[in-house]
Amino acid sequence: MLTTQVTYDELATLMKRGAGVTVDPRELERASDTPFGILGLDSLGLLGIVGELENQYGRSLPPDSERCRTPQEFLDLVNSTLKAGA
Amino acid sequence: MTRRVAVTGIGVVAPGGTGTTAFWNLLADGRTATRGITLFDPAGLRSRIAAECDFDPFAHGLDPEPLQHADRYIQFAMVAAAEAVGDSGLDTVTQDPWRVAVSLGSAVGGTTRLEHDYVKVSAGGQRWDVDHRGADPQLHRAFSPSTLASVVAEQFGAQGPVQTVSTGCTSGIDAVGYAFHTIEEGRADICIAGAADSPISPITMACFDAIKATSDNNDDPEHASKPFDARRNGFVMGEGAAVLVLEEYEHARARGAHIYCEIGGYATYGNAYHMTGLTSEGLEMARAIDSTLDQARLDPTLIDYVNAHGSGTKQNDRHETAAVKRSLGAHAYDTPMSSIKSMVGHSLGAIGAIEVVACVLALKHQVVPPTANYETPDPECDLDYVPRTARERRLRNVLSVGSGFGGFQSAVLLTGAGGRTR
Amino acid sequence: MTKRQTKPNRRTPRAAITGIGVIAPNGLRTDAYWKAVGEGLVVLDGITRDGCGHLPLRVAGEVRGFDAASLIEERFLVQTDPFSHFAMAAAQLALDDAGIARGEPPEPFDIGVITAAGSGGGEFGQRELQKLWGQGSRYVGPYQSIAWFYAASTGQISIRGGFKGPCGVVASDEAGGLDAVAHAARAVRRGTGAVVVGGAEAPLAPYSMVCQLGYAELSTAEDPARAYRPFTKGACGFVPAEGGAMLVVEDENRARERGAAVRATVAGHAATFTGASRWDRSREGLAHAIRGALDEAGCAPEEIDVVFADALGVPEADRAEALAITDALGEYGAKVPVTAPKTGIGRAYCGAPVLDIAAAVLAMEHRLIPPTPNVFDICHDLDLVMSRARPAEPRTALVLSRGLMGSNAALVVRRADDSAR
Repeated sequence: MLTTQVTYDELATLMKRGAGVTVDPRELERASDTPFGILGLDSLGLLGIVGELENQYGRSLPPDSERCRTPQEFLDLVNSTLKAGA
Repeated sequence: MTRRVAVTGIGVVAPGGTGTTAFWNLLADGRTATRGITLFDPAGLRSRIAAECDFDPFAHGLDPEPLQHADRYIQFAMVAAAEAVGDSGLDTVTQDPWRVAVSLGSAVGGTTRLEHDYVKVSAGGQRWDVDHRGADPQLHRAFSPSTLASVVAEQFGAQGPVQTVSTGCTSGIDAVGYAFHTIEEGRADICIAGAADSPISPITMACFDAIKATSDNNDDPEHASKPFDARRNGFVMGEGAAVLVLEEYEHARARGAHIYCEIGGYATYGNAYHMTGLTSEGLEMARAIDSTLDQARLDPTLIDYVNAHGSGTKQNDRHETAAVKRSLGAHAYDTPMSSIKSMVGHSLGAIGAIEVVACVLALKHQVVPPTANYETPDPECDLDYVPRTARERRLRNVLSVGSGFGGFQSAVLLTGAGGRTR
Repeated sequence: MTKRQTKPNRRTPRAAITGIGVIAPNGLRTDAYWKAVGEGLVVLDGITRDGCGHLPLRVAGEVRGFDAASLIEERFLVQTDPFSHFAMAAAQLALDDAGIARGEPPEPFDIGVITAAGSGGGEFGQRELQKLWGQGSRYVGPYQSIAWFYAASTGQISIRGGFKGPCGVVASDEAGGLDAVAHAARAVRRGTGAVVVGGAEAPLAPYSMVCQLGYAELSTAEDPARAYRPFTKGACGFVPAEGGAMLVVEDENRARERGAAVRATVAGHAATFTGASRWDRSREGLAHAIRGALDEAGCAPEEIDVVFADALGVPEADRAEALAITDALGEYGAKVPVTAPKTGIGRAYCGAPVLDIAAAVLAMEHRLIPPTPNVFDICHDLDLVMSRARPAEPRTALVLSRGLMGSNAALVVRRADDSAR
């Protein structure tokens, strides 16, 4: 079954691959309200992750997704969007 | 004694028309040259609009041999340079060639050509180990950014310092600034200065798509570029070139040249903040403006017009408005500030020089060009942006500012008749 | 020629070199570079980069064993091209050497950044072009917009260091490396406290190499020992290299006030243009640049203790350079020691003359003129320092560079304790 949930593990992988930012997925989950900027991910990096997810799922994400400040905010928005369209 | 630097010739290739007359008519009428992309098929791109030049390089009486081997952006530069040198009345043959310099800017140089040929040697992006067989042996000319200044130097026999400047979107203004320094410091008496870019290509459009910096008003391209308007949603790509002949003031006077104006000052700083991001304070651009005014010992209240960077992205226009208010204080509200990118788009490195030429023409005609498409005020952008219609005004001291990826913040001051000079 | 150059007046600060950082094929730090240069080590070798093995360009100077993550943050390896990795790492070494901390400098507007760039982010760009044309425009990543263009290294160094002073980029052929340093020296004379300046290149990616194949001056020899031998009868072109050097050029007074060691001063520079690949004409252009640089430095020909040659390795260009040195320096031109350490490492485009400036400063400090590796028998009237380094007391060095697009430049550096004269 195709999962429509993006996990912290996947987010950590995307941060590493797309922006070169290494972050432990468990740490990311624990500190999920830490701003991306503090985690080392800049606005371009987040744009890249949005683009990757859009390509992966073959659908657009809302414009607000690239303005999310924290991992939790981002995953909430992305996952609710994917769920709604599932 | 400080050497003064005069502008004695101008030339331009811009969307909407080649040559300074067509260019000025477009600006003065407030017409826009933005349209759906025709230079390649933009299907699949987010932003499919641009301000393109309808350009026939061979229609301008230049030697066709060097022209036909030159990339599009260099053809623009050659045509603009020929107009500028012709306009200056300089006989480049009789000048001491060691005293003639060239300073030209370009943000992305030969990338359009590099992409075109890449597609061939990579079998359409299929192989990393690209096949050199069949590659054009002239490709190194697109690879080397200094080809731009080199070709234009050969065009006029210049043998002084020849350089290509590539500071992203401030390349044009910085190339003029470097030229100003070159003459001021005595390293040349004449400098052919300006910039060129032809970035309307899949890779460049796609890279700005990826960061959503460009407008996706694909259904209404004529009104897509909306600097300072609350509905602005990114810049519209442009292309073109502009060239100025800068000349040591006494040298120009001695030969009876027409002097359009003088370069009163120039400064550039880095924002050390982010490669693409801008603060909302505009501290570094303000510093560039302040430094420029200091060089000319000019009080900020004597600025009559600010030619804005005004790209039409949310953050740029806010940043720039804050910067100008920081430098000019209350006088900012009495100073018209407009963005010609509303009409000719944003030609990356070229636009800074195109805007300097627009300022020279504004001084000449004593008319402020408008910001086309401006209708809906943005509370964060609360200056006088000269909406839609050009305005007659007494112009003496004019500022042009620029801001670019990499954090570059630049300003140049032009001083016309009746303006304050050192 | 009438001399109309404005001489720096007494109150104009001198531009001192207070930091050197090198990332070169023969050394990943300044001390390792100098050791290799002094010994005349040759590191030219077959190209090992992925996707390059089939190309008719066989030999280059590769930067090997470079661990970027040890000098710059890991994220830059993904977000920027190797040309910026090299520049950022070299800048860090130069800043460490100068004792300037990065982060939030007390006077951010007092430190600028200027780089010369001639090849841009070719590897990064090729990867993104492959995504665009192989997969589609939606696969182009967000960092393409800031990694490929020539201004990438200046921007990243400025941001990483918190340096808000004058920032610039000379996108140029080889001579641009000298122009950038001169540009920095002039910024200092105009009042900026310090400028991080230099050039580093990464031209050894497959498509970048295909583009370079069009250079008639490129050596396509197979044997590293014979691929790059300027001034000899066997001269068959130049070998490209990657890497480069960054310097800290600083107001001498500022440096002394903060107790930094002044390693040398940038005393004079001039640049001319004589046409792309017009090597016969470069004789006149280079001679003119040398005279201009000496004039600005207030330096007589006999004061030049060593010349770092451009040494292109093309017979016509080598002849033009040898004659230019004599044209500009007179009879002394045949006596002054000349060297070209780049024959051991290749020409790193804009990075090459900055590496030569670094070598010149180090030569003055170590009282040793480094040799010109692989060159044993020259056919020009020059005192070329060949197989072994020569002990000497160089106090003033002349660095020369010419570019494939027609630029000629000359720069004079003086030993710190001699700068006052």
